[in-house]
Amino acid sequence: MALAEICKISNASYMKPTAWTSADANEDLKTFSCNLANPYTLAAPPFENPMLNLNQIQANSGKTGIKIDFDHGTTTLGFKYQGGVILAVDSRATGGQYIGSQTMKKIVEINDFLLGTLAGGAADCVYWDRVLSKECRLHELRNKERISVAAASKIMANIAHEYKGMGLSMGMMLAGYDKRGPGLYYVDSEGSRTPGNLFSVGSGSLFAYGVLDSGYRWDLQDKEAQDLGQRAIYHATFRDAYSGGIIRVYHMTPTGWINVSNTDCMELHYKFKSEKEAQ
Amino acid sequence: MSILAYNGGCVVAMRGKDCVAIATDHRFGVQAQTISTDFKKVFHIAPRMFLGLTGLQTDILTVRDRLMFRKNLYETRENREMAPKPFSAMLSSFLYEHRFGPYFIEPVVAGLDPKTLKPFVCNMDLIGCPNEPDDFVVAGTCAEQLYGMCETLWKPDLQPDQLFEVIAQSMMNAFDRDAMSGWGATVYIIEKDKITERSLKTRMD
Amino acid sequence: MSNLGIEQFPDYQVPGVSHADFSPYESNGGSIVAIAGEDFVVIAADTRLSSGYNIHTRKQSKLFPLSNQTVLASTGCWCDTLSLTGLMKLRMQNYEHTHLKTMTTDAVAQMLSIIMYNRRFFPYYVSNILAGIDKDGKGVVFSYDPIGHCERATYRAGGTAGALLQPVLDNQIGYKNMNLHGEDAPEVTKERAVAVASDTFISAAERDIYTGDSVLINIITKDGIETQELQLRQD
Repeated sequence: MALAEICKISNASYMKPTAWTSADANEDLKTFSCNLANPYTLAAPPFENPMLNLNQIQANSGKTGIKIDFDHGTTTLGFKYQGGVILAVDSRATGGQYIGSQTMKKIVEINDFLLGTLAGGAADCVYWDRVLSKECRLHELRNKERISVAAASKIMANIAHEYKGMGLSMGMMLAGYDKRGPGLYYVDSEGSRTPGNLFSVGSGSLFAYGVLDSGYRWDLQDKEAQDLGQRAIYHATFRDAYSGGIIRVYHMTPTGWINVSNTDCMELHYKFKSEKEAQ
Repeated sequence: MSILAYNGGCVVAMRGKDCVAIATDHRFGVQAQTISTDFKKVFHIAPRMFLGLTGLQTDILTVRDRLMFRKNLYETRENREMAPKPFSAMLSSFLYEHRFGPYFIEPVVAGLDPKTLKPFVCNMDLIGCPNEPDDFVVAGTCAEQLYGMCETLWKPDLQPDQLFEVIAQSMMNAFDRDAMSGWGATVYIIEKDKITERSLKTRMD
Repeated sequence: MSNLGIEQFPDYQVPGVSHADFSPYESNGGSIVAIAGEDFVVIAADTRLSSGYNIHTRKQSKLFPLSNQTVLASTGCWCDTLSLTGLMKLRMQNYEHTHLKTMTTDAVAQMLSIIMYNRRFFPYYVSNILAGIDKDGKGVVFSYDPIGHCERATYRAGGTAGALLQPVLDNQIGYKNMNLHGEDAPEVTKERAVAVASDTFISAAERDIYTGDSVLINIITKDGIETQELQLRQD
């Protein structure tokens, strides 16, 4: 067994005279669910370049019948104005062309003063937002004060950078209120992180930008700002096939976030239509 | 993405008791982007016959025009109305003429025979393999969803008003689970003495 | 060119050179339906296990009871299903021995999401639906994408006939596109849930070649799990 010693496989389970002792079971348990103990350790794939190989498997789905589509597609937006930050999102999740869900929650409530929107791979965003909310809580316990939006977004950007090139797909906005006032950051899976006054992310973002840019002013009133966010998402759901469902609007104020409204697109469409006809 | 799903859209047709129904959505898109919401993919081509075409929009229009030409020629020569069955045969051979450079469409034919008034529905693949079942036919980007809905809701010998309800529910619930079709729908009910056209109020996302 | 769907055509052939794609997955078929009610949840899966045009067995249950309040149904690549459900069972046992209580359905749902995300770069090819009774005694359904995105719902269809079944559930259980004349949608009863689940499977077996043979239905209430079986098409 000298070769096995040199290759360091003598400890592998298949090299043992009796397989499956309870210690092995425990070992397996730890290995195959290692990210329960440490969320940053994910299983390594048995091939190089997962971004390329996984995409190849997905691209061949027509031939092989292996349809491994992740939930995707979104319109999200966020902007700062004199009254805080507005976040508005749709709620459709599509796997390929199939609409997997019309009721997805695309705003993650990280804590009372921090919200994250998600676009791109749903699982990626939700998982890492959960990790982020743990880190934010730990920061609070260690430092006896809430984490700043800048710091929270930096944690997220670091995670994204760590996994860059592995095929994660995230485009998120982090909105919060801290000592420096309202904060809004854009972070994506390529590792970029940038503060700003106005963002829109996702497949329908171009449509949302059009409405947003024409109606945006710094000195908007609260109601105006909330309606603007809602309307921008509505127009995106109308034009973009991968956006739709319920439009959720959140408002970040100095005293924490408020969920302003959750309105069905269909209701809004016919409301806007009758308003237009009445004019 | 398949070229058949490039513009999106779907059509379904069903047989009832002495009537047929055909429904279409209204979307014309380019991949994810919705260009217009008044593109009906069903065409009234004879007094009691409708042709539904899904797939690539440019081919839909071309095929419609070329079929109309052939149908008119037939009617001029024969001096009688073209029945759905020979029309489908003509459509099938027309599509097979382009076996190695096909039109990217999936057609659906629905109608009543002008003489016997027997209901008729038929669909084909893009190179003209005909299928004439005695229940329903579907085509378009949400074919799977439509099959599921129709298979559950359809039963033999539906009256025209029941048939409308079944086809409308099938259509709306099917395309609500498909990103590429929807944005309004129209149902046509063909009976021996009248044709009813009804628009549906649908989700617009 | 990929727009035209012709990227699979090779440019030219080189003699003596063959290129093997890495294909670690297989689709073994099967469908799942789950419907939750006020104090119960119904979860059903067909029993056909196939690959390509071959049927491996007509009697494979795809329902995995994790506790007497939680059932996981899983289809897709059967080897992935087995390794995932095996791991889940191990984790459930481990939890029970460490904490001296059974995991709640909500906790199982979260754990399943995390365990699936562990394989982010080489996903389990499975379509999972988890059904159970939550901590308030309500029926609940969780559905997953292959890398563990989890969503709570009241009804859900998955597997090879998922696209056929889901709109039917939207219509019959969710009362979508129905004119209710301003009334609230009626609450789903246990009998109706079982009837709709059975009907949808009968429809799916007509059109999906990977679904058929029979359906196993588990009805979960606070008193435990009751099992029913229904024969489907055998062809």
